[in-house]
Amino acid sequence: MKKRVLAIVLALALALALTACTGGGASSDKVSITIFNSKMEIQSQMEEMAAKYAEEKGVNVEVYYSSDTVAAHLSTRYAGNDPYTISMVDAKDVYSLAAEHAVDLSDQDWVKNTTQAIAIDGKTYGFPVCVEARGIIYNGNAIEKATGKAFDPTTIKTTADFQALVDACKAGGMENVTGVMKEDWSLGAHFLAEVYEQHDDPDAFIAGIKDGSIKLIEDKKFNDLMNTFDVLKENNYAKAAAISAEREVTEQKLAEGEIAFMYGGNWDWSVINAYDYTDKMGMMPVPNDSGDGSSDKLVGGGSKYFFIDSSANTSDEQRQAAKDFLNWLVFDEAGQSFIVNDCALVPAFSNITLAVQDPLGASVKSYADNDALIGNYNYLPDDHYAKVGASFQKYLAGETDRAGFADEVTAYWATAEVGAH
Amino acid sequence: MKQNKLSYKIQQYLLFAGPGTVLFFAVVMVPFVYGLYLTFTSWDGVSATKPFVGFDNFVQAFTDGDYWLALGRTAIYSVFAVVLINVVAFALAYLVTQGIKGQNFFRAGFFVPNLIGGIVLGYVWKFVFNRAFVAIFSATSLLATTEGAMFCLIMVSVWQYAGYMMLIYVAGFMSVSKDVREAAKIDGCTSSQAMRNVTIPLMRSSFVQCIFLSITRCFVVYDVNLSLTNGEPYNSSVMAAMHVYNQAFTYKNYGLGQAEAVILFLVCAIVGVTQVLIGKRGEVEA
Repeated sequence: MKKRVLAIVLALALALALTACTGGGASSDKVSITIFNSKMEIQSQMEEMAAKYAEEKGVNVEVYYSSDTVAAHLSTRYAGNDPYTISMVDAKDVYSLAAEHAVDLSDQDWVKNTTQAIAIDGKTYGFPVCVEARGIIYNGNAIEKATGKAFDPTTIKTTADFQALVDACKAGGMENVTGVMKEDWSLGAHFLAEVYEQHDDPDAFIAGIKDGSIKLIEDKKFNDLMNTFDVLKENNYAKAAAISAEREVTEQKLAEGEIAFMYGGNWDWSVINAYDYTDKMGMMPVPNDSGDGSSDKLVGGGSKYFFIDSSANTSDEQRQAAKDFLNWLVFDEAGQSFIVNDCALVPAFSNITLAVQDPLGASVKSYADNDALIGNYNYLPDDHYAKVGASFQKYLAGETDRAGFADEVTAYWATAEVGAH
Repeated sequence: MKQNKLSYKIQQYLLFAGPGTVLFFAVVMVPFVYGLYLTFTSWDGVSATKPFVGFDNFVQAFTDGDYWLALGRTAIYSVFAVVLINVVAFALAYLVTQGIKGQNFFRAGFFVPNLIGGIVLGYVWKFVFNRAFVAIFSATSLLATTEGAMFCLIMVSVWQYAGYMMLIYVAGFMSVSKDVREAAKIDGCTSSQAMRNVTIPLMRSSFVQCIFLSITRCFVVYDVNLSLTNGEPYNSSVMAAMHVYNQAFTYKNYGLGQAEAVILFLVCAIVGVTQVLIGKRGEVEA
């Protein structure tokens, strides 16, 4: 008898423990929203913010992260009829997902405060989380030490200027002056994409490559940018084995001033930040001989977009809570501070005036404020970065020359189609 | 209740094999059949609609040059890796069944690489190839060249699987009774003759198993591929499984990727089953 009582008590205790696990104390009167975060470096900040936001606003916020490809991860949630209330995705994902999955946000107040929101057919779907831009990251401290002269990035306009500065650094005792990231996304999606983006009409340019009316190898912009790339390539600290250079090592060398230049973007701060970096770091445009003002502008714009789920799996209360959350990010001081101070992102909204903390972000902000950003071209096919990135890697490794590289890019475009927009 | 009644049999089956059957169908058969269905659609992996396109994906898969390059590369990799894995594993098994001092310690030691997950293992070896070897020999990294990257992949796979296959060979060695070897010795065999004519034929089932396991694993290698080379340099080390993954998820051609996965499955199954059939045919018993 005693044993049976004990068994029942134990079973009950276990059952209770189980329900305690699953219940999670979600009280029914509170609205719960889920946020998918695809920016790994701000995950802990997002979680802290969610806890605080829940306390102040009475809305449960849960933040999820996945290292999977964004679209692949979201597809599993859609397949399971369990979409996130708010999803953070890349610009191209907004174009492919919005029609089926996103809520029209055109009536929101923040729309007029940004130039970076994504609208399709006149309807705004994507809320820009931050601004990111690409250019050459420099270590001003290292340059000044090597050349003995004050460094002003705005004086470097042409490839010749850049070459002269690199030579001066070398003469001053810097053994290798540059680093090149060999990652296919850096080469293919970032550097080569500048060739498209710096044309006045990227659509027409790509169409020209496709129908053969534009020969890439004869294109002035392509050659101008590749000339500058050659300077980076020739002075690469890992020139002998450029393909095995690791991103962390390159950025560490840049942070500590062993090299002075690297092509990248302000997101690289999350890596540089981990090392003992010197002061006077910043970003400058890729100098080139086009003479079209592109030497004065970084390339970039909104990066990472929030959209709100439109399916029946999300209730109207949840949607309203999600809209409130986006407004909080833009108009509430705490929300603004979260983006700028906690996450160290460059805000995409003109009403946010907080100073950006990190030097690369500060560079981007100053270019953005002066309207000196060349917009992203968000419609490249999904396999673009991998395929032309591989061709670019061959060029970087010296396995092919510029004409061979241009041929491979042209061959890629023969069958590829840009995304609908 | 009569034990030969159908209802009794069904009841017994459900009682003992029911949960297993349900699980098998839920996690193997249903996804497999659903996957087959998806090969006939042009689904992008995210969209709510799955347009039916018939055999288009298979036609595309057969004309996808990159896929066949990757598959050919995988075949070459598999040939080298399977041979080396089994030679090394057999040699190790031979060594640790000879009664050398501390042989249990060595058995455990050789097996350990298999306990480390492929992803971790890839990163560890990447560090060794990219930093350690470069620092010691002041040479350029092997991972920077096309042939070097393949060599690294093969080497790491051999290192990973040799210990595991060694265990199977050890069991094979143990299963050959001492009597037959002794008899061979008394009949005048040298120990290498005894090995070749007595021990190895009796261990044939171990070879069949090991070769089958190593072939099937090599053909679908993904984790080491991802963390060690990630397809670099310039996509020259992309194996079939990685190409399939990229096709389905990164390039968002889910239907095409799935079709290529089915082809990979068929190739893998044909090679594996043929090998087992040939291997089994010559099996002998003492």
